[in-house]
Amino acid sequence: MIKIAMIGGGAGGLITTSKLSAELSEEIKQEKVSITIFDRKETQEFQPGYLETAFRGTKPEKLKRPVDKLISKGVKIVHANCASIDLDNHQIITEKNQEKHDFDYVIVSTGCSPDYSQIPGLREANMDFYTDAEVSSRIFSTLQTIKSGRIVVGIAGLPYKCPPSPNEAAFMADEYLRRHDMRKNVDITFITPYTRIYTAEPINEVIEPLYSERDIESRTVFNTDSVDPAKKVITSLEGDTVKYDYLFLTPPHKPAAFLKGTDFADDEGWVKVDKRDLHITDHDYAFAIGDTNNIPTSKAGVEAHLEGIVVANNLAMNVTGEGTKHFFTGRTQCSMETGFHHATFVVGTYDRPVEKIKPTVTNYAEKKVMEEIYWASLHGHYEWLFKYHFKRDYFAESPS
Amino acid sequence: MTIYNVDSKGTACPGPITDLIRAYRKASNGDIIILQATDPGVVPDSKAWCGMTKNELVDTKENNGEYEVTIKVTAKK
Ligand SMILES: Cc1cc2nc3c(=O)[nH]c(=O)nc-3n(C[C@H](O)[C@H](O)[C@H](O)COP(=O)(O)OP(=O)(O)OC[C@H]3O[C@@H](n4cnc5c(N)ncnc54)[C@H](O)[C@@H]3O)c2cc1C
Repeated sequence: MIKIAMIGGGAGGLITTSKLSAELSEEIKQEKVSITIFDRKETQEFQPGYLETAFRGTKPEKLKRPVDKLISKGVKIVHANCASIDLDNHQIITEKNQEKHDFDYVIVSTGCSPDYSQIPGLREANMDFYTDAEVSSRIFSTLQTIKSGRIVVGIAGLPYKCPPSPNEAAFMADEYLRRHDMRKNVDITFITPYTRIYTAEPINEVIEPLYSERDIESRTVFNTDSVDPAKKVITSLEGDTVKYDYLFLTPPHKPAAFLKGTDFADDEGWVKVDKRDLHITDHDYAFAIGDTNNIPTSKAGVEAHLEGIVVANNLAMNVTGEGTKHFFTGRTQCSMETGFHHATFVVGTYDRPVEKIKPTVTNYAEKKVMEEIYWASLHGHYEWLFKYHFKRDYFAESPS
Repeated sequence: MTIYNVDSKGTACPGPITDLIRAYRKASNGDIIILQATDPGVVPDSKAWCGMTKNELVDTKENNGEYEVTIKVTAKK
């Protein structure tokens, strides 16, 4: 029996195991192959919806689905987190009872989460739309009470998931306040350690004029060092300050704790992989996809998806001896909502720089379609649409 | 003084600047960050970053499509 272990049952874990279970359905039936997800979570959340919960009041329950409904046929789940992994001896130890599980192949897709420990005072002062749906909903409760003052949004540290999301927060806060006729009493300031409001120039060219139009102030090259929740002041590494009344910053993110200190991760715990076939350096039976790896692209669901498709294809090919090897193109596609039913997309690959795409209602509609099909897409039901949409970026047939 | 060697080769915008900003957070005044990249944007972007943060751009080199930017950290409080 060939045992495939998937650590993490989020976006990357679910899409990859769904493709694997489809490609290896015969082998699973004949008990030649098993696929097991390890993740203690019983419920998954649609993370891009956290912004809707924070700035439009979408109820947290609307973003949730029970994990058991999301797992594809033939895939097993162990509801326990991975405590450690021994790649050389092909073994995972789970947190629950320190159980040992052997594997022949392993895929790590354990995502990333806010790391408040890097910025003193931030946890006490901040409300974020990254931790989970409930935490995001606190922003909306606060937003409804704001009568005047300054909201500060933006990037407190790097890296973080979904690069456009701090900008979306600025636009969505602005839209909420305008719709409620409160904007003239409330200032919005966006802070970022980058030299531009959006780091990729073509997108910056699109959104910078919108910041002026909407009267959203910006402070570029602001490297947040600490926050004083009592005085409501953010101080930068260079000693500059920004005052706030309400703080909705994007914290720097960290990978799952068990990865830190392993020889296959960097000093912060991001897993070192080949950026084209996603195998973990020196281990051709181990892979890391999605937010947890160290490849030079955005940490976004689209990447987790397209990387997962590549890994599942190649792994199925190893098992069956049929098919051809695929490679990840580095394709990114993050939507950036600019408010009032408009959105742009940050689109690029390893070989093509980010494109200049103007915000339109059609883009916004595309984003909404993705929300509608998200859960079914984790079962692989819409691969025909992704294939059509991403065209030559869906996967590459050679590594360069 | 610590030297931070930051390998951003093979990463495109905003990769090198992201890596620079992450190294800068860990560094202290007087430390040196050596940023290596293949993205030609690294030179103007690093220049702009140094100018805006008031850190010191010590040197930039190009050799066969590989760029090396040396920065001295001077702007921290
Ligand atoms: C506000 C916001 C907006 C976003 N917008 C977009 C967007 O527009 N487009 C886009 O493409 N992406 C977007 N994303 C990003 C997207 O949600 C993530 O990039 C995607 O979920 C990454 O998939 P993943 O599998 O790497 O991680 P996740 O989906 O986060 O899954 C990780 C899983 O690993 C599990 N886990 C953690 N530690 C362990 C352990 N030790 N053992 C076992 N399991 C473990 C967790 O419980 C979790 O279930 C957005 C995210 C946010 C927060």
